[in-house]
Amino acid sequence: MAKIKIKAKLKGDVITAKVMIPHAMLTYDQAKSKGVEANFITHITGMVGDKVVYELSTSQFLSKNPTLKFKFKNAKKGEELTINTVDLSGAKQTAKKKIK
Amino acid sequence: MDRRKFLSFSAMTALVVPAGLSAIDFRATKPATWTAKKVEDSIKALYGDVKLVESDVKVKVPKVASSGGAVPVTIKSGIDAKSVAIFQDMNPESTVCVFTLNENSVIDYSMKIKLKATDTNGGNGTVTAVVEGKDGKFYVGKQSLNVAQGGCEG
Repeated sequence: MAKIKIKAKLKGDVITAKVMIPHAMLTYDQAKSKGVEANFITHITGMVGDKVVYELSTSQFLSKNPTLKFKFKNAKKGEELTINTVDLSGAKQTAKKKIK
Repeated sequence: MDRRKFLSFSAMTALVVPAGLSAIDFRATKPATWTAKKVEDSIKALYGDVKLVESDVKVKVPKVASSGGAVPVTIKSGIDAKSVAIFQDMNPESTVCVFTLNENSVIDYSMKIKLKATDTNGGNGTVTAVVEGKDGKFYVGKQSLNVAQGGCEG
């Protein structure tokens, strides 16, 4: 599977991050028509060190290969942003990138 | 019936998530939110019977989305909040996602979502964002749009 792509940039005291997660994100409808099990990301977190800076529970309705953009604060340049995802089948993905 | 099995499976999956993560996995704690078909029912399942205040929640969507498979949605708010939930009324179930916030969060989130244009809704729908404030109040913002072609068929 391709890797998660992360971009994170600090401006002032707010970091803007862009994340692209490769995942088919099959809805129940799409899976039925293809004759496979539905599978989509259910939970995503972004962490800097042991601080959670971004967290969401998601549904089948995010687009395929979801691109997410978000902002957070209380982190410095050079610190690493780690993105973790879990999907319906229990499979996990993770990636990290330094904040610029 | 199969859907319920999948949901309880995802509840078990959530327990596998590492202990380092702080807050709430809404799929585990509020499973009814994810099966509710109407936006009002999803809000009720997630937050209870709450009064929504229309204030300081900006939902940005294109007025006409060219593809229902990837509609860009942006949510912005200045409210000191605990969680933000996004719903829409075009897909078979109405909850899209729920963000958990803390002292590091800034509410400025963008994502692309699927919206299903059907004969019944004619491609017209509304994206609703509910913000659970730390003051115990619930704030709402909505935006309507039109989708040119179906998204859920893939």
